[in-house]
Amino acid sequence: MPAPPYKMWEILERARTGPFCEDEPFIMERFMPQLKAVIRKYGIEYDPATPVPSDDHLADALWRAGLEFFLEVGVLCVDTHRIITFEEGEVKEALYLVPGEYLVGSGKDARLLKHRPVEDTNPPFVIFSPDITCDEELFSPLSIAYLKEPLADGVCAPILEESMGLKIKAQTPTELAGSIEHAMSLRQAAKLVGRPGIFLVAAGTAESDIAQISISHSDWGVRTSDSRLVGALTELKIDNALLNKVAHYQQFGCFAGSLTGPIYGGYAGRAEGTAILQVAYHLMGLLVHQAHYQMNFPFHIHYTSNSSRELLWVISASHQAIARNSKLISFSNGFLNAGPATEMVLYEAAAHALASTVSGANLWEAAVAHNKYKNRATPLEARMAAEVGHACAHMNLTREGANELVQKIVAKYEERVADAPLGSLFSECYDVAKAVPRKEYLDLYARVKDDLIEMGLEFPY
Amino acid sequence: MEILERLVQAVQDGEAEEAVALAQEAMAAKMEPLAVVDALTEGIREVGDRFERMEIFLPEMMLAAQAMQKTLELLSPYLEGQKERREEKGTVVIGTVEGDIHEIGKNIVALLLEVNGFTVYDLGPDVNALDFIKRAQEVKADIIGASALMTTTMPGQGEIIELLRDMGLRDHFHVTVGGTPVTQEWAEEIGADSWAENATKAVAILERAMKERRGHARATL
Repeated sequence: MPAPPYKMWEILERARTGPFCEDEPFIMERFMPQLKAVIRKYGIEYDPATPVPSDDHLADALWRAGLEFFLEVGVLCVDTHRIITFEEGEVKEALYLVPGEYLVGSGKDARLLKHRPVEDTNPPFVIFSPDITCDEELFSPLSIAYLKEPLADGVCAPILEESMGLKIKAQTPTELAGSIEHAMSLRQAAKLVGRPGIFLVAAGTAESDIAQISISHSDWGVRTSDSRLVGALTELKIDNALLNKVAHYQQFGCFAGSLTGPIYGGYAGRAEGTAILQVAYHLMGLLVHQAHYQMNFPFHIHYTSNSSRELLWVISASHQAIARNSKLISFSNGFLNAGPATEMVLYEAAAHALASTVSGANLWEAAVAHNKYKNRATPLEARMAAEVGHACAHMNLTREGANELVQKIVAKYEERVADAPLGSLFSECYDVAKAVPRKEYLDLYARVKDDLIEMGLEFPY
Repeated sequence: MEILERLVQAVQDGEAEEAVALAQEAMAAKMEPLAVVDALTEGIREVGDRFERMEIFLPEMMLAAQAMQKTLELLSPYLEGQKERREEKGTVVIGTVEGDIHEIGKNIVALLLEVNGFTVYDLGPDVNALDFIKRAQEVKADIIGASALMTTTMPGQGEIIELLRDMGLRDHFHVTVGGTPVTQEWAEEIGADSWAENATKAVAILERAMKERRGHARATL
């Protein structure tokens, strides 16, 4: 089976020739009414009592609603004011051509990245990622700490704010410098820990198209066995700079990931609309981003997190829809409220991993402390999610079983979402020189893990 | 239910046609236009508060704002000659800084400012620092609002302030900054006048800032 691209130039050309539409009518007259219509037509309903639903009919209805919504609305290119639209036959053809698995990374570190069905007994592919910015001098220790994690199948490094002491500004030479520093330092860190071919997703520092293009290099930079991401604009929109990334990734030959985060409370409204938009974004990822995998992080408009009950439902229901009706490979990106070295963040990581893994997602963990604070993330939050994801597969957990556990775990923190503890800095939780966690955090980690075992979770070790 | 009560309800429910019809009815009944606008402003503020508490969601708030705007358009001729009696909240030039294409947060702030009586010029995303200033001068703005959603675009907020200083215009505008990665500490570091963690707070902060600004202006006259 071939990998993407699928009809790339025919589709990208539609950003120039598609139906004319301005931003506001696209949202007000197209996006919002169509979303409301499919929610009603397919009877999609959020149930707070089941953050992990077990209803196959719901999953399939969500898929049909997402497909219909995507076909009706399309994707707006905000530079050309043209809508990229699709025929149903094209979507089905592209879905048919999805291979469902890729060998990513290289050499001994290569891993099989696969589509996961609902209640898969194979463990998730886990990308360890701090998802935050860091001081320049902490970039290497943080990267090494994440690369050292045994359950990391792939790593995405923190983002630089300075390069050579200069403040990085997007679309300027400082961004090019920072992006090169990011790619080179990450490559070096991977080699130092003895995982030179590990699957790397880089470089988060390269926000612009030119910066991404500047780091494609098979020796020191992003290799064809690695990956990079291309995002969307809120909601179902794109621009020429993002399309430049799409074209370049395919022409360079690396793996492309579609990075989308539908906003709960935003244009999509409540949980039902956000879940349908998740499905639509997966189709956008396949057809517009020409992506090999989807990486998604639906999040709460006020808290920038997705570990609360309604967002866990969005994650679980939408991933079940995708897992049951396609071979798409999807990563569920945890966005947690609390910060490092708190009980709350570890419980949040566990709940997110459970709801995602049992529903057919791979894991991308974890943005913590509302994804807002510099130097405030450690590999232990990601480790908890990874261990729970492996436990979920190891014990053949059903959705019903996962729902029971998630209910118990969510009860531990859901009252504190709005005023979650900020936690500690990486340098407070880790011995920076050795890039290993300090005893206090390891002890806390062990206590939470014991509590999860008490609740019924069976870890492989 | 009184006409005014029904009108406020229609606006809050986002029923634009009904709201316009009720506003016409209110004017035909010789109701005081300023009192109607004040009630609507209070009503729409409540909508913003409900959104902040997640009792309603963005689509509902946008429909309410649209209904408010259409109603105000209808009321506009009746307010002629009474404008000096109506409190002018202030003029805001708002946008997302250069290199940043994220808009939703900025759009929500712009929407709430507008329905709360500010005159808003939305420059959209990816706006050069000098363009903020030129536009603010052109429309005689009181406030420049700069949003940034990426840490690598946040320096664009600082650039606006640096340019204002270098152009000798720093005191001419209140500069407010916002966006997910933006904090009070960052606002202080770059010398911004204010920062708000969400749209509702932004409205309250800018209302207060405008009152202080006017008080200061009067005191120094």
